Amino acid sequence: MNRLIVSPSPHVHSGDSVKKNMYGVIIALLPALAASLWFFGLGALIVTLTSVVACVLFEFLIQKYILKQPASIGDGSAAVTGLLLAFNLPTNIPLGIILIGSAVAIGIGKMSFGGLGQNPFNPALVGRVFLLISFPVQMTSWPLPLASRASYLDATTGATPLSVMKEGLATGRPFSEVMGDVPSYLDLFLGVMGGSAGEIAGVALVIGLIYMLWTKIITWHIPVAVVGAVAAFTGVLHLIDPAAYASPLFHVLTGGVLLGAIFMATDYSSSPMSVKGMLVYGVGIGVITVLIRTYGSYPEGISFAILIMNMFTPLIDKYIKPKRFGEVIKSKA
Amino acid sequence: MNQWSNFSKGFLKENPVFILLLGLCPALGVTSSAINGLGMGLATTFVLVMANIVVSLIKGFIPDKVRIPAFIVVIATFVTIVEMTMQAYVPALFDALGLFIPLIVVNCLVLGRAEAFASKNNVGSSIVDGAGMGLGFAFALTLLGGVRELLGSGHFFGFAIYPEDYGMLVFVLAPGAFIALGYLIAILNRLKKA
Amino acid sequence: MGKRASSLPNMVLTLLMITAVAGGSLGFVFQMTKAPIEAAAVAKQQEAIQLVVPDFDNDPAAEMYELTSSEGFPLKVFPARKGEELVGVAIETMSNRGFSGEIKIMVGLKPDGSIINYQVLEHRETPGLGTKMDDWFKPAVVVEGRKEPGTRLLDGFFGIKAGESGDTKNILGKHPGTTRMVVKQDGGEVDAITAATITSRAFLHAVEVAYTTYTERTDAASSATTQYNEEEGGDNEPVE
Repeated sequence: MNRLIVSPSPHVHSGDSVKKNMYGVIIALLPALAASLWFFGLGALIVTLTSVVACVLFEFLIQKYILKQPASIGDGSAAVTGLLLAFNLPTNIPLGIILIGSAVAIGIGKMSFGGLGQNPFNPALVGRVFLLISFPVQMTSWPLPLASRASYLDATTGATPLSVMKEGLATGRPFSEVMGDVPSYLDLFLGVMGGSAGEIAGVALVIGLIYMLWTKIITWHIPVAVVGAVAAFTGVLHLIDPAAYASPLFHVLTGGVLLGAIFMATDYSSSPMSVKGMLVYGVGIGVITVLIRTYGSYPEGISFAILIMNMFTPLIDKYIKPKRFGEVIKSKA
Repeated sequence: MNQWSNFSKGFLKENPVFILLLGLCPALGVTSSAINGLGMGLATTFVLVMANIVVSLIKGFIPDKVRIPAFIVVIATFVTIVEMTMQAYVPALFDALGLFIPLIVVNCLVLGRAEAFASKNNVGSSIVDGAGMGLGFAFALTLLGGVRELLGSGHFFGFAIYPEDYGMLVFVLAPGAFIALGYLIAILNRLKKA
Repeated sequence: MGKRASSLPNMVLTLLMITAVAGGSLGFVFQMTKAPIEAAAVAKQQEAIQLVVPDFDNDPAAEMYELTSSEGFPLKVFPARKGEELVGVAIETMSNRGFSGEIKIMVGLKPDGSIINYQVLEHRETPGLGTKMDDWFKPAVVVEGRKEPGTRLLDGFFGIKAGESGDTKNILGKHPGTTRMVVKQDGGEVDAITAATITSRAFLHAVEVAYTTYTERTDAASSATTQYNEEEGGDNEPVE
């Protein structure tokens, strides 16, 4: 059959697809996963497996029995949500809480709004913040890295550098003394500190970022804007009073700033589309994060910051529109 | 109008909270437990019925341009009566609802029924409308309070169903109120369709 | 009858009549409920006093006197006596550092200053979080059924460790002079209410204010001071 096929444009497909991008994100998350397995061992394995399996399962069940849609779990997006949720949990978190978090992330964060691409908030963060508010005790006891690789629920716990700083300041200890309890910058970069499973190893997250930039899964704008804003804001505070505010490097390397900036804030459907919009969005996240860390009652604020800026995404997209292809810039008459 | 449908419309067809989305401030604010929701709902029902009676009685007597201030004075009077009576005879409930009782005055449901219904209908219909709407409001608040209490602290009307430690604290707080309300509306819409 | 025209005299007259009737009926209800409201308040106060100080046979409300805290708040002190001996004082104290609005508590102190019991009188804290202060700082009630295998499984599932806080959230029987009445987050010795640190701070602040104001007063009168110093070295050594 030799027929001429007539079809509308585009005629050449780049091969880009949801599936390809999602598996790309999973590959980019592998270094951080390896780091969390190295530092937290058994706990990281159990938490990550449970979270991924639960997210995929909940998506399948909701699509099959409630929405009665064809299942789309093969595209990998539920697995990415599960992986990111696990990265935001302490590795000694009990199973029941992971299951609730996965159900909230997929059920409330994603499927309630219509599924893939329709969610206004990052689903993994919806799950994480829901758990943080619901189970504050379990969500804020972090196992010590390396020390308890063979244990899960009964891991020895310790504080994160950020909570050490916050509590130290609240008790009125001198700042230099408080900062003496915090690991060195090299340890912070490599991930030798208490924290959630995937957020600690800065070096692994940066490798993931380089891979995603290289394969064009994301552009550099959002991560750079977030990290830049955090560094600039804390830099100004640090210059004003070095005896009361930690250095910008400390703020960038601790907590979830790198994980959030690279993997959570760049979620396609909850971040702006235009380059300028991405910069505004990223700077907003950075500024809110520092505000919460410095003046709020929580030691860490990146999750809240990303969710808050997710809310502004439609507004940003409305006011900062990408220029239409071929549009002539109007001259001011 | 058929008095029965006039009464029953407040429960599902025109439920103030789930369908009309009126009076959401108390609906989200006080419903951290079922008993609080019920108490607030019944207090609102009383104000609603009394305000409807008085407004429908004096509707011909009030010049159009000052009807809103006149209605507000009537409503505020009944709210203050409820507040003082509660404080005197059920101090425990008054402690729990505290701040929200005076807020019944600005509950748009009460003014809305006075303006939209009682100022256009006779006394009998207005009583039925006020009772229906008020009980529908109480039903919605009790349901919302029950769901939040059960999920948030493992109790239902104060009886322990499961240990409090397993509860999801978020449902006791304001964000949980929004989440619970959203899902209740979704479920009711689904049921109405079926 | 038709609608009345919206002329100025009509409007003024109508509003005047409505407000007059409303004012009149409110005055009537106020008169009616005045006595019961006062009775309810007195009953609540009596109940609180009875809870926070051991048995007494005088009328503490009749002997009530007021002290002023260093921040300028009036504190009501109700001395409880058995015969002639002072067995304790109930102090109505407050803090404005709560999560929303003022927190009023009645705290019972022994003559030496250690805490007998407390009762929360008035507050606007978050239900389910801050409201836990009603019982939080009292000795933990042992929950029956905690040992059932099903419950233990669920406990593991939700990561609840029974009795992990020990006695550090209890303030009854402790002495504010030797136990720092500040939450652990701020370097004190009391466990804050889960997810309600601000409420806990305010609560402990109110207790602290009651204690310091009362002991300063008795220091000045120098009656109970020596006795209090002797007992200090006893059972409540600082943990540090």
